[in-house]
Amino acid sequence: MATEQRQHEESGDHERDVGPFTRWVQSSIRNPQRAYRAMFYVLMIFFLLTTLFPFYWLLVLALTPTEALSNIGLLPNGFNPGAFVDIFEILPFHVYMFNSFVIALASTVMVLLIGSLAGYVFGRFDFPGRGALMLILLTISFFPPVGFILPLFQLFTGNVNVLGISSPMLFNTPFAVLLPAGALYMPLSIFILTTFYRQIPDGLEDAARIEGTTRIGALFRVIIPLSAPGVATAGVLTFIYVYNEFFFSYLMTNGEAENWAPILWGVLGYQTQYTAQYNLMAAASIVGVLPVAILVVLAQERIVSGLTSGALKE
Amino acid sequence: MAKVTLENVTKRFDDVVAVDDMNLEIPDGEFVTLVGPSGCGKSTTMETVAGLTMPTEGTIYIGDREVTTLPPKDRGIAMVFQNIALFPHMDVYDNISFGLRLRDFDEEETDRRVDDAAETVQMSGMLDRMPSEMSGGQRQRVAIARALVREPDVFLMDEPLANLDAKLRVHMRTELQRIHRELGTTVIYVTHDQAEAMTMSDRIAVIDGGELQQIAPPLTCYNEPSNLFVAGFIGSPSMNFAEGVVGPNGFESEHIDVEFDPSTLRVNEGDAVTIGVRPEDIYPTATAGSVSHATAEIETTTDVLEPMGDEILVYLLLTEEAEIDLEDPEAGDQLLMSVDPASDIEEGQTIRVALDREKIHLFDVESGEAIAHGLVQPTQAKGAAGTEAEGDD
Repeated sequence: MATEQRQHEESGDHERDVGPFTRWVQSSIRNPQRAYRAMFYVLMIFFLLTTLFPFYWLLVLALTPTEALSNIGLLPNGFNPGAFVDIFEILPFHVYMFNSFVIALASTVMVLLIGSLAGYVFGRFDFPGRGALMLILLTISFFPPVGFILPLFQLFTGNVNVLGISSPMLFNTPFAVLLPAGALYMPLSIFILTTFYRQIPDGLEDAARIEGTTRIGALFRVIIPLSAPGVATAGVLTFIYVYNEFFFSYLMTNGEAENWAPILWGVLGYQTQYTAQYNLMAAASIVGVLPVAILVVLAQERIVSGLTSGALKE
Repeated sequence: MAKVTLENVTKRFDDVVAVDDMNLEIPDGEFVTLVGPSGCGKSTTMETVAGLTMPTEGTIYIGDREVTTLPPKDRGIAMVFQNIALFPHMDVYDNISFGLRLRDFDEEETDRRVDDAAETVQMSGMLDRMPSEMSGGQRQRVAIARALVREPDVFLMDEPLANLDAKLRVHMRTELQRIHRELGTTVIYVTHDQAEAMTMSDRIAVIDGGELQQIAPPLTCYNEPSNLFVAGFIGSPSMNFAEGVVGPNGFESEHIDVEFDPSTLRVNEGDAVTIGVRPEDIYPTATAGSVSHATAEIETTTDVLEPMGDEILVYLLLTEEAEIDLEDPEAGDQLLMSVDPASDIEEGQTIRVALDREKIHLFDVESGEAIAHGLVQPTQAKGAAGTEAEGDD
């Protein structure tokens, strides 16, 4: 008891001699958990600021009236929620959104359908060259889209002739965006679905086939329902990717809403050669982001469980 | 209902012959068990009947229809799997009615059949449970109901009881027999469990190395095994074997001689042969008086005793130096004897035993084929060798 008390007094004397920072360092050395927690908060606040500040800034821009669009600080120069209405009056922004939505949804369906068939084959059959084929597939998905733009543009504008039949005119249709964007995102989906379909026990597929399905029937009635987290992950990721896609969205349409131009063209549509209505562009951006934000919030649990359970076998 | 015929069915995987020229004819309504050690091809044989595996060669008929290349759904079969394989995302009703819904049965008929099937397996009232909420035995009943409900021509069961605990397994065994009796459907049953094979089947097909060794009623396989493999595989604990040669007065080996007249059997003097005798057909000479045809006495030393309750298993050493090798009961210098639990037998005791000649089997060493069952001289025995009628269970 006595020695303990003396030690305490000694250390008390010691602490009185030094500044608060040194004291904090000393206590952190004694109790490292404090330092870890401090680091955690610093990093978390940093990431939250870097991701959320742009959104806040968009909101500031959107709420600022058009005539006050210079020298904007951290607070809007005025309050003009009318920008969120104006965007629909100046341009048919809802049509652009609808276009993006249809394109993203259609390519998600395409990717899940074709990706499921491919994932079934990659996951449940053993054939020579399976690993090499998967590698090639993944490699292609890492190519920059610009590598494909010239041949694809030729193809989609009807300038490729095969045996006297010219390719269909897909420019200014949703297919011009959803086909290349979906195709580039397909390999990752195939990869995700492969790991999921591989884990379904053979016995369940056998049972389904004995009960009266074909192999494809067993895929859709048993394997896909049991792989729901993986299918949801692949679907949500594809949807977000295609919805956010810039490159083909910009180049494969002339930018008219009636020509299936996506949101990108809507947002850019508020600038003309001499003016740029940044408040409207900001408002449009916020409205355009909302569907994806809602989707992520709703599906985040599925996505996280899907991404991790693909990697870890139970 | 239908008979099942396999003609020259062969299944080769890359470098393994899983099923080798299998010929089977299973009449309508019969309960046939395919039995054999792990990897013997019994499951592959069943998969070719189910259509989950295409045979490399050969033809399969169900009824009069050739089904060799038909997909499983068109074969009129139902199957119960070892791992039960209920669809985890469906409740009991959906699991049982899965096949009916695929075949567009109307709702009333589906309901009626599901209720019937659930009643047969005593699972009525649990139709809205999910598989994860049920015990192993309940799941297996649902799997059986799923097979029953389509009223298939042939039932295939691939070790359906293997994943159940011992007590439940015995119970489900009788349940399956009851269901078979009620429905009279042809059943092909795969197992490596002898007790299941012996108790449930009309006939047992013993398979080894992808080849059919013997197909016969259980007691015939037990009493008249057609070769060394069947003799060693059927029966637990397994048969004792001793290798020797045919001498002028019968079987001769280092420790055991059995007198018989070689001229009455299909053997020549000098042939290498093996005799087999089951543990319950060896007697201490003290009680051998009840055996009408005993062999000459053999002097042995008792080693390990295994009291089982209804019998005592005694490991006998034929020589001083011999060591008991429990892993390999077929090693030549030991015998396993089963005696009455009341007998006062001790470890390390010298004891004289005799074999019951009516129950000795004689095999050709080279081919493994059985030559005779029962080495009793025709003049002494009532019937010819190999036709003793009494059961031995």
